[in-house]
Amino acid sequence: MHLNFLPWIILFLPLAAAAVITLFTLRNRQVSATLSVGAVVAGFILSVIFVKVAGWQPAVSEVAVNWLSVGPLQAGGGSLQVDFGLHLDALSLAMMLIVTGVASLIHIYSMGYMHDDPSYSRFFACLSLFTFSMLGIVLSNNFLQLFIFWELVGVSSYLLIGFWYGKASAADAAKKAFITNRLGDFGFILGILLIWGIFQSLNFVSIQQRLPEILNTHGGFIPPGSLPFGTTLTIAGLLIFCGAAGKSAQFPLHVWLPDAMEGPTPVSALIHAATMVAAGVYMLCRVFFLLNDDALQVIAYIGGFTALLAALIAVQQNDIKRILAYSTLSQLGYMVMAVGLKGPPAAMYHLTTHAFFKALLFLGAGSVILGMHHEQDIWNMGALRKKMPVTFWTFMVGTLALAGLWPFSGFFSKDAIIGQAFGQHNYILFGVGVFVAMLTSFYMFRLMLVVFYGSTKSDDAGHAHESPGVITWPLRILAICSIFAGGFVAVENIYLKQFPSETTEEAASFAHHLFEPFIAAPAAALSGLGALALGFIAAYALYAKADKDPLPEKLGGLSRAMRNRFYFDELYDATVIRLHNTLAAIAGGIDWCIENVFIGFIRGGTDFAGRGLRLVQTGNLQTYAFLFALGAALVLYLVLGK
Amino acid sequence: MSILTYIVGLPLLAAIVLAFVPRNFAVIMRFVAIVATLISAVLAIVMFARFQTNTAGYQFEQQIDWVRTLGISYHVGVDGINVGLVLMGAIVGFAAACCSWEIRSREKEFYILLLVMTGGILGAFASLDLFFFYFFHEFALVPTFIMIGLWGRGERKNYATFQITLYLSVGALIALIGLIALYTQSGANTFDIPKLTEYVRANPLSVSAQHFIFPLLLFGFGILVSLWPFHTWAPLGYGSAPTPTAMLHAGVLKKFGLYGLIRVALPLMPQAAQHWMQAIAWLALGNLVYCGWVAMRQKNFNRLIGYSSVAHMGFVFLGIATLSLVGITGAVLVMIAHGFLAALTFALSGYLYQQTGTLEIKELGGLLRKLPFIGTALVIAAFAGCGLPGFANFVGEVTVLFGAWSVPTFRVITVLACWGALIIGAIYMLRAVRNILQADLPAKWAGVTDAHLWRKLPFALLIACLLVFGCFPRLLTEKLRDPVSAIVQMANPVLAPTQPTATVQVDRINQSILTSTATK
Repeated sequence: MHLNFLPWIILFLPLAAAAVITLFTLRNRQVSATLSVGAVVAGFILSVIFVKVAGWQPAVSEVAVNWLSVGPLQAGGGSLQVDFGLHLDALSLAMMLIVTGVASLIHIYSMGYMHDDPSYSRFFACLSLFTFSMLGIVLSNNFLQLFIFWELVGVSSYLLIGFWYGKASAADAAKKAFITNRLGDFGFILGILLIWGIFQSLNFVSIQQRLPEILNTHGGFIPPGSLPFGTTLTIAGLLIFCGAAGKSAQFPLHVWLPDAMEGPTPVSALIHAATMVAAGVYMLCRVFFLLNDDALQVIAYIGGFTALLAALIAVQQNDIKRILAYSTLSQLGYMVMAVGLKGPPAAMYHLTTHAFFKALLFLGAGSVILGMHHEQDIWNMGALRKKMPVTFWTFMVGTLALAGLWPFSGFFSKDAIIGQAFGQHNYILFGVGVFVAMLTSFYMFRLMLVVFYGSTKSDDAGHAHESPGVITWPLRILAICSIFAGGFVAVENIYLKQFPSETTEEAASFAHHLFEPFIAAPAAALSGLGALALGFIAAYALYAKADKDPLPEKLGGLSRAMRNRFYFDELYDATVIRLHNTLAAIAGGIDWCIENVFIGFIRGGTDFAGRGLRLVQTGNLQTYAFLFALGAALVLYLVLGK
Repeated sequence: MSILTYIVGLPLLAAIVLAFVPRNFAVIMRFVAIVATLISAVLAIVMFARFQTNTAGYQFEQQIDWVRTLGISYHVGVDGINVGLVLMGAIVGFAAACCSWEIRSREKEFYILLLVMTGGILGAFASLDLFFFYFFHEFALVPTFIMIGLWGRGERKNYATFQITLYLSVGALIALIGLIALYTQSGANTFDIPKLTEYVRANPLSVSAQHFIFPLLLFGFGILVSLWPFHTWAPLGYGSAPTPTAMLHAGVLKKFGLYGLIRVALPLMPQAAQHWMQAIAWLALGNLVYCGWVAMRQKNFNRLIGYSSVAHMGFVFLGIATLSLVGITGAVLVMIAHGFLAALTFALSGYLYQQTGTLEIKELGGLLRKLPFIGTALVIAAFAGCGLPGFANFVGEVTVLFGAWSVPTFRVITVLACWGALIIGAIYMLRAVRNILQADLPAKWAGVTDAHLWRKLPFALLIACLLVFGCFPRLLTEKLRDPVSAIVQMANPVLAPTQPTATVQVDRINQSILTSTATK
């Protein structure tokens, strides 16, 4: 059966919904929500059908139409051909399922969460636009199309972070997110240009095919006299990684993600936890064939450093959404590290499970925030366990999955990454991975204990209430996914189809896969579990009965630095931003001078010359005669004198 | 009669008609102006749709001899390059006429000048005769000065009029000297562009003549397009100009100089063009980066978009400087996209000014709540301006960047241009959006009202054009392929001899591919 038209429909349904809502149904809340939810749910169902029928690796893996075509000249010379196409393989199909699936649940949840918002329709229009852009990234078959949707995702994120644009902080956060992402995209587009310059193509498949040939033909140098080919490729890989670092908020471009929590909570869950921020990791896996060892090395360490940095900051945050935001940063660091350690399947595995449990945690946090009447400080909560049972239990599942308890999904995916580090004999990153696992367990149980256990810390916490079904049902479904997506369903096998490796064979049976981590790499699995236990014990000792945070007293300056996110915002303000503003000020000053002084000088000069020359016109005949004689004498001297 | 003659002639005819309408009937004048420009725009759309992609030469041609001894004739026609420009000009002309409601004094003179300006602009882009090309441009330029002087706004209106007149007159004069020198030096005794091009192809200009004439055209046209460092007239002039004038000048008339460079200077003076390309690229960087920085410092929104429009011209110059098919195609795409965009932003700022009486950014704020339609349109314009995919500007800019990257000596320039395009543009545009539309709404703007019904039309039309060409760039690139190829081949006389080596290289790669597959 020919189902190649299905991905096109899946891709364009949300765009159609966004367009219809914007143009026609802004006033009709119910129709808007139905359209938007319908588009994404239909997309999910069609995705499932497509994968069922065509399999994970469809026979026709690429469909494309020409989008932009310049040249070539008849005499040869440059030409630019850009397709608009879909690339269908295990990687993109699995990601398509995750995006539509998680997005469906969050769309439904939003119908409840945003119910009282006056701009309900606008919210759903933006959400649909986002879904379209994200699917575009996932399905792209070439670099420029990827970049196009990359930018569109950036703008939908901007619109959704700044959804409550009346709040100055939301407007600023949106701007910051967009510009920080643009910094990454600056590197990304340069990387694309560099790759286009080498391969004269933007298509992933044709670049992959030509790579070994060009490596052989040019014997390492292209063209003669320029950098060695390997160096060029490293630079290209790192430039491409810049784009990923921007979108996946890796150090040093991580500063925007916590601020992005100004957006509505479903947005934080969908965009800033489950899907968009994972786009960077997805993209790295997509272009993995281009990344050589040097580039991968850098990527791995940046990922590891981000994971560590963000986990440390998360320990001392008090806003429930910010804790989760830093946790997201930290987990993204894990994924990037996994790519850098040559383990794209592990990265994608963690991406998948993380999408479920982090969406669950954010939606749970949203449910708490709603129950607490928009209170976000965890030290004003407490003892919510009994008041919000469904939220509590699902949140607990999310926490256990994130902390990595066997047999929750998070255990398997995190173990895959730590095991990858161990397998590559990179013991520094292995240590970082284990230490971050401990921190993760610590800050998540800190959050659990303070919010759901202990004493009621404010009046709002006393009056908190459970959220309605439209909110709790998505929580339940995500909780089930968070438990089973790991050891039970073996999502990893899908990605191993894409990146066949010689070491890991496909786990044969269900039970085998469930216990496989302990058999394959017991050191990694056991140290992961040990870290989890250590983190939990520390959190329990400190926070089980605490009414205020005991850590600032114990850690002093370190705690202050953690709470202030190690002063990265201040550092950037004082250096990069100030430098750029100074350059702008200099340019502005020069321009002011040209506009006012220089032009004024011309005008004044003309004026002055006119006044001066007027004096010569005295009207006195003798003066004229004298000047005439003088002039004649001068001319005669010049002509005849020599 | 060619359809082009109608497109150009209708606004001019309407201007003559208006001369006979008593000055009390402002509504009738407005009606006549809108209808004339509307018909002109519809005809331009028809022409664009009926344009044959794969036929060589000019289409919709018409030629009437005028001064035979000098070789001057009224000759109009379009190829792939100016068909898009005429379309853009006609649509912007209609939008500008729609946006003229802010004019409340001396409507008769205003509409006559507006129609003359529109007709002149369209004539300049449709003309295939150097004389008429220049003549129509002056026909459109002079009303600009008068309109800024009489209907302009702000305290610096007179200074702005003075400066824009000074700059543009000097620029036009230098270009005129260059064109006349070209006419005499070529020895073809014709002003007809196609004939002149054919003649020069057979009898190239001497290199010394090229080196004399090319800078005249480059800087003469450059001043008209606000090439850095001759750009200060633009923000000042646009800041003081009435809305329709700014829309027409920044959107369409300004592109005249660029069109002149592409149509005349590059193909006729290839050696000089090669000589100057590096310099043009650096000057383009002055537009892109330096003027972007200056835009970051602006406190008045109109001046900010004025600088932004100057900055965007950098892409066109950079594309021209590549002398390559990709680069020049990108340059033309940017010209068309920026025409729609500049018209849109100036129309929006005009609406804001009409509602609030100020464009000082610190006075404004939170206006999106009061102006959902205008505010959304402004957000769209801001994103289109910082190169968001989906809008025509992105296609043009990215094509220029690809073109520039393929010139080995432009690598550093391309990197800096990317910085200007992606970072600086985003900073000042989003800052303006943040400070004008978002955050708190000052109490004094509680009374502003949004655009309603038909007043939305010009904005919606311009946004639609940006989207159409942004999503379907082949509408333009297919048309551009043949004419730009011809120009590039003339502008690169060295292209032909170097070509074989390039082909050999490709062949060698192909052979190695074949052998490697064969050995497998």
